[in-house]
Amino acid sequence: MSALPKHVESIHPALWLGAQLARGTGRTVDTGYAALSAELPGGGWPLSALVELLVQQPGVGEFRLLQPALQQVCKRPVALLQAPHTPNAQALAYLGLPVDKVLRVRAPKTADALWSAEQILRTGSCGALLFWQQHIRSDALRRLHLAAQSSETLFVLVRPLACAPDASPAALRLGLRPAAGGLVVDVIKRRGPTRDESIAVTLQPSPILLSPYGRIRRHSPAPTVARGIPSAVVA
Amino acid sequence: MLERDKVLIADARAREAGVRLGMKRGGVLTLAPQALLYDRDTLKEADLLHAVAFALLQFSPMVALCAEETVLVDVSASLRLFGGVLRICHQIRATVRTLGVSGFMCVAPTGQGAWLLARRGRRRALKMSSLERHLNGLPFSAVPEIRPFADWFEGLGCSALSDIRRLPRAGLKKRCGAGMLDSMDRAYGLSPELYEWLELPLTFRARVELPDRVEHAEAILFSARRLIVQMCGWLSAQQLALTHATLILEHERGRDAVEPTTLEIALAEPTWKEGHLVRLLKERLGRVELAAAVLAVSLTATKVQPAEPPSDSLFPEPGGTPEDHNRLLELLTARLGAENVLRPALTADHRPEHANRWVPVHADTKSAGVPAELPRPVWLLDEPVRLLIKQHRPFYGSPLRLVSTGERIESGWFDGGSTARDYFVAEADDKSCYWIFRERPSATSEEVVWYLHGLFG
Repeated sequence: MSALPKHVESIHPALWLGAQLARGTGRTVDTGYAALSAELPGGGWPLSALVELLVQQPGVGEFRLLQPALQQVCKRPVALLQAPHTPNAQALAYLGLPVDKVLRVRAPKTADALWSAEQILRTGSCGALLFWQQHIRSDALRRLHLAAQSSETLFVLVRPLACAPDASPAALRLGLRPAAGGLVVDVIKRRGPTRDESIAVTLQPSPILLSPYGRIRRHSPAPTVARGIPSAVVA
Repeated sequence: MLERDKVLIADARAREAGVRLGMKRGGVLTLAPQALLYDRDTLKEADLLHAVAFALLQFSPMVALCAEETVLVDVSASLRLFGGVLRICHQIRATVRTLGVSGFMCVAPTGQGAWLLARRGRRRALKMSSLERHLNGLPFSAVPEIRPFADWFEGLGCSALSDIRRLPRAGLKKRCGAGMLDSMDRAYGLSPELYEWLELPLTFRARVELPDRVEHAEAILFSARRLIVQMCGWLSAQQLALTHATLILEHERGRDAVEPTTLEIALAEPTWKEGHLVRLLKERLGRVELAAAVLAVSLTATKVQPAEPPSDSLFPEPGGTPEDHNRLLELLTARLGAENVLRPALTADHRPEHANRWVPVHADTKSAGVPAELPRPVWLLDEPVRLLIKQHRPFYGSPLRLVSTGERIESGWFDGGSTARDYFVAEADDKSCYWIFRERPSATSEEVVWYLHGLFG
């Protein structure tokens, strides 16, 4: 059993086992987190498809989860549509995104937001589109999914975790919950077998440890040398 | 339609009622009292013909206005660009229809031949031989130079052009003058043709009166589109691209004169394409509130620049060109407003809410450099949220635990927004992190107040 699947795969690319992940037909972008990439069809975030991230609240780490992928696609502009709060450009620069490539679009009405998303996707000039929306109807979702297929854009829709039971045409749906040092990712939907266990992802950079003034938390099993103020700061 | 009090054109319903061409005004009103009578306005007709000619400049720079409401376009050099005779015919027909004009179109190897065929309905003759066959069948009255001698030719037993061509040339030249033979020779391709091609004005300004008073901005789009089609013709004939245009909506005069509404259309990416301009205008018109009903629309090309030829790179970029992106930004700005399509412009300031500044995409503001290695949360709250204090600890959903040392930001004494804050990273029970700050106790109050300012996305 252990060697067989690999062997079967190597015979012909059209051969696969039912327990395997679907072979991605489209392009993907590596997530940058090996544990997560291994669980996604094609080994990364799919391009030209609707990807849903379901979060409890903004600020659980969804941006840092996407950051390695955004760094790969940020040769083209990255659009932030209907961001829940003011995006901090300094933080985006700290995460390695070129500041001049970031575009922020606010839409006063839901209809405007959906229209903007569709226009951005249809033009296809943006490398990534991150879209935050609380309520969205399933026909609008289908429309966006269709628009995403016509472009080579990483399209991520961030919705509340409460939408998880609803049906969605998205190619990939992940639920995100905060955890110590990062996130716990639940795979709600993917192309391939279901996965019940959640995936723990340690996010980089952590908000605490990378502060130049940061100190190791008291209960963390970290080496004691890192305790206290770094010597560079003292000197 | 009347000319000198005689019916010139009558539509199908009028003809059913018994109205005949050449009838007097009184006769028409007796037969059909509810008929709408219009007087012929030759000036307006000439304007319309001019508008058609301008719109057709898209297809060829050689456009001439000819006698009897005909526009002649020399497309022989444009055939390959537009993909053949059929395609160019379809496109010309669509353009003419956009202007709200109906007409016959015909194609022939000679200009005069095409003109003659167009007088008799739609036909396409691509070879000299087929043109000759079609022309031979035409009644001789189609040629304007023959009409004065119509009775004489009828007396000779001629009815078609071929009959006249069989007559001896020398005699014809003596009796009817050289003009008639020249005209026929031009049609049959026996002598060269000369036309006065349309001369282009250096600036573009067009105005159209609406058929009725219009109260919805969207309804203006149809008329505005007519103007845009003309402007696109003018632009492409001169190989210019538009960067700035003004659309003026003239209002009905009520008791007080109403200032005309002016829509400025500024383009970041110069264009001469009709589709993009119409889409842009549609979004703009959707947002306009009209002060009064609109009577006329005029369009002026305010700024133009030479058009750049399209690049022919072998492998196009997957994301489209930068021009596409600029067009997208224009479209978004047109619908959402400039204040909603933003780009970051950092300022050199220690206070995070001042350092993080977003400006409209097309603003000229320069961005300051990015400070290296400065950890900041991705989300900043517009207004810091004051946190509850429970058991001497800030509380946001659950008690918050400080997990970093403080970062003191004390600045703003120079512009009145003086702040003195200690920022900390705090962790809630569910392990999510928050960026909170403590107002430093001042001389006036000793109370410690905690605020939530950022979220680590």
